[in-house]
Amino acid sequence: MPDVKRRSSLIRSPQFSSLVILMVLLAVFAIADANFLSPLNISNMMAFLPELGIIALGMTLLLTAGEFDLSVGAVFGLAPVIVMLLVQSGQVDIGVALLAGLLLCVAIGAINGLIVTKIGISSFLVTLSMLLVVRGAALYITQGFPLKSWDQPGFFVTLLAGSFNIGTFRFYTSLWWFIALSLLAIYVLHYAKLGNWISAIGSNRNAAVARGVPADAVKIWLFILTSVLAGLAGMISAFRISAASPVAGTGYELEVIAMVVVGGTALTGGRGTILGTIVGALMLRSIRNGIVLIGVPGLAYNIFVGVIILAMLILHALLQKNAARS
Amino acid sequence: MEVLRLQNLQKSFGSVRALKSASFTLNEGEVVALLGDNGAGKSTLIKAISGVFPVDRGDIYVRGQKVSIRSTRDAMDLGIETIHQDTSLAPDLSIARNLFLGREPVNLKWLGVFAPLDLAKLRDAASALLKRVGISKKLDADALVSTLSGGERQSIAISRAMQFAAKVIILDEPTNNLGVEETHGVLRFVKEVRAAGHSVLLITHNIHHVFQVADRIIVMRRGEIVAEQTVADTDLLTVESIITGADMSALLKETRAK
Ligand SMILES: Nc1ncnc2c1ncn2[C@@H]1O[C@H](COP(=O)(O)OP(=O)(O)OP(=O)(O)O)[C@@H](O)[C@H]1O
Ligand SMILES: [Mg+2]
Repeated sequence: MPDVKRRSSLIRSPQFSSLVILMVLLAVFAIADANFLSPLNISNMMAFLPELGIIALGMTLLLTAGEFDLSVGAVFGLAPVIVMLLVQSGQVDIGVALLAGLLLCVAIGAINGLIVTKIGISSFLVTLSMLLVVRGAALYITQGFPLKSWDQPGFFVTLLAGSFNIGTFRFYTSLWWFIALSLLAIYVLHYAKLGNWISAIGSNRNAAVARGVPADAVKIWLFILTSVLAGLAGMISAFRISAASPVAGTGYELEVIAMVVVGGTALTGGRGTILGTIVGALMLRSIRNGIVLIGVPGLAYNIFVGVIILAMLILHALLQKNAARS
Repeated sequence: MEVLRLQNLQKSFGSVRALKSASFTLNEGEVVALLGDNGAGKSTLIKAISGVFPVDRGDIYVRGQKVSIRSTRDAMDLGIETIHQDTSLAPDLSIARNLFLGREPVNLKWLGVFAPLDLAKLRDAASALLKRVGISKKLDADALVSTLSGGERQSIAISRAMQFAAKVIILDEPTNNLGVEETHGVLRFVKEVRAAGHSVLLITHNIHHVFQVADRIIVMRRGEIVAEQTVADTDLLTVESIITGADMSALLKETRAK
């Protein structure tokens, strides 16, 4: 009996319904255009997937704790710009420049977190302002021009954007980053003590605080984590295309939040699923890729993406209602 | 023996003086009822004791030792467990995870906050606890708290305080929203806790309950303690009139004379 019960609750879980929809979408695209499942196209999707996916992992934890971060797209743009400027100045080694870029992300995340928790302004307003500051800084220091990125082979380039072939498939090292970080996030959210705290804080902050959970510290660290992951993703992307553009990552914040909620994480906090986020990231990636292949005109993409996201959210809401009733 | 002593606690929220000056003593194995009308300052007083916010002035002594309670963790470590009026559970977590929130059993303790939860132990301990409180037949330790009724949630919160066998258990209106059976469960629990040698500070608006379980009564009005009596020396009507403030002067005199 309990086995049956567990199975039915799995089927009703949001990540499962997202997974089913993903399968349906993949099947539709594959039937509509045979090239969709070609090695070239799959390799292509897998190159883009980690860059937004890595940010989505941090965003999932943050949303589960009841906050969110709109500055990730801007941080994605600024971090590699800083790294490249430092390298071009010729005074620092690339490793030091990368470290400096990540420390800047730590600072941005810490400022977000401190203002949200200690002054009590909503994360929407704080991170929206931070988006403007960070994007503005990237534009100002580059005067709006993209920087040529580091393209000499070396340890760090391989580490972040190296590629390798498996048969006819070409994969980037960023895929390993995404897989490793996903496993880590699954462990932290669902199996570690910290995950229990994150869910409790998002579900009922006062209750968590009353049990001695350091809610503010947890949130600040999650803001830092999200910012660092956004910066890391920006660096990976810049190395891959050998250019750091001050406008890179524009609009990514909403795309990432869409991935997370489509996967079944609640925007209001308390309920988060990393597996769902991975499914959500795959889904948005394949939609963007698939609709190009099947010949939807470029300017009409967002209509499709928006409609599919809405459909997913409606489905989750209906399932949620159903679960509450039974 | 004295367990908890408060001396001149004061707390203001802006211009609202929620706690003007509160002093009292709680002894071992004693149930003290804290009474008073809405807004009298009862919740403010117990929030100060349980570390929700710091007091502006005044001292707290635990077993004769002056302590500083700056966080809820401090209070818990001193053996003070509180069940707050505004629900103290996280609805999106399972019953088991709520019962051990903040004190999760883990493996590989050296990993700190990254330590893996001991899920088997969590489940077993939760089931054992539910059985002990007598609600196991209805509830599964893996069920989400959001699927429970208000009364069931209250029972869970109470079992949790019991679990950690605190020196002092503070209950802020624990019988609110409870049915007849659950209310009896709570009152039985209060007696059990006292029998086990713990002290209870019980806030309630139901004077009948007070006479069933309390040893002593403390009445607050507008941020001050206005009367203190042993249950044996008073009766329902007297207490009611103190709370509402009718014939205050005579009663205050009576209290002072003691
Ligand atoms: N966080 C706060 N900020 C501002 N004022 C507050 C705050 N908490 C309590 N107060 C005020 O302090 C006074 C005492 O409130 P408190 O909650 O302690 O009353 P109470 O005795 O518990 O009442 P009840 O029986 O209704 O629960 C009230 O006037 C209330 O409005
Ligand atoms: Mg109150």
